[in-house]
Amino acid sequence: MTFEKIQAIIVDQLDKEEEEVQLETNFREDLEADSLDLFQIINDIEDEFDIKIESEEGLTTVQDIVTFVEVELAKK
Amino acid sequence: MQSELIEKLGIKYPIIQGAMSWVANPSLVSAVSNAGGLGILACGYASSEIVRELIRETKSLTDKPFGINVLLTSPNVDDVVKVVCEEQVKVVTTGAGSPGRYMNQFKNAGTVVIPVVASVALARRMVNEGADAIICEGMEAGGHIGKTTTMNLVPQVVDSVSVPVIAAGGIADGRGVAAAFMLGASAVQLGTRFVVAHESTVHQNFKDAILKAKDIDTVVTGQITGHPVRVLRNKLTRQYLKVEKDITSDEKPDFNRLEELGKGALRRAVIDGDKETGSFMSGQSAGLVNKEQSTHEIIQELMHEYQEVIREQANLILK
Repeated sequence: MTFEKIQAIIVDQLDKEEEEVQLETNFREDLEADSLDLFQIINDIEDEFDIKIESEEGLTTVQDIVTFVEVELAKK
Repeated sequence: MQSELIEKLGIKYPIIQGAMSWVANPSLVSAVSNAGGLGILACGYASSEIVRELIRETKSLTDKPFGINVLLTSPNVDDVVKVVCEEQVKVVTTGAGSPGRYMNQFKNAGTVVIPVVASVALARRMVNEGADAIICEGMEAGGHIGKTTTMNLVPQVVDSVSVPVIAAGGIADGRGVAAAFMLGASAVQLGTRFVVAHESTVHQNFKDAILKAKDIDTVVTGQITGHPVRVLRNKLTRQYLKVEKDITSDEKPDFNRLEELGKGALRRAVIDGDKETGSFMSGQSAGLVNKEQSTHEIIQELMHEYQEVIREQANLILK
């Protein structure tokens, strides 16, 4: 569920197909996302899950974000 | 928010002169500050020694607060930040990145940090990092721009952050100032209007080009590189846009062709006044800028006109 929502946000923001956005996908290398794209994605994820993402450091792959979000949701 | 911001910045009028490469030098910056606004120095990728000189020169010309824009992509950024803090510059605006790394240094030096952003997401990010206020710049502005117009960007940013928001992009007279406040801004930043100030030392050709410009006379170059820039159209922009068009459908566009055209073009415009191959950055508001004045006259006119406009509207409503 979490992955699907995050995948949808990334697909939407970067204009990609679902197949292109998998857990191992690397934002910069595979999706050519720049920091502005990442900020936008983080923004949307914060709104979607009602969490705060303090820094984009360490968020290199989709899996990184999914893990982060799941940890935050578990804290709630 | 407006009076809170003015107090924080130590200025008389909620008018900020945006940092413009090669244009926002000690002469212009000190003049704006002396006239009651906030002048902001541009220092590009200059070394920290040069930055220190620029700051000291400005200090010798004004004892009012002024700011400096720090480009976070500069190779000298670490040293520049150190110097800015040592020299106790009151305000820092930032562009091209996140000032988060330097926030502690700035806060310890008592600097007011105001990032310039072109999107809501970025504004929120910057506030998370500790920004004291935000300058949100619509795509009507000259120079590097984002995708959203001032009319849309300002209220959306105002709705998403709890710090004062400064509107920039497309503001050149009192009507624009009034409009910005109606959209929720606490202050305004202008660029193009100040380029033609008496105290601006740019080449006369640059000033003339702005004075002559109409509403449709700017174009956006560099969209394909992901770094769009708004400039007055001329022979260089014609060539540049043609190359952009040519390489657009390439798998791997050769940006070198664009780089060659653009190299040194800003300097050629501002310093040499080269009308054909210079890059004259300007906002769409150039069409509103029709006379050369002193910064004092500019600021007084902006304030008077803005108050007139508000009064007129208020009377209509109160009738």
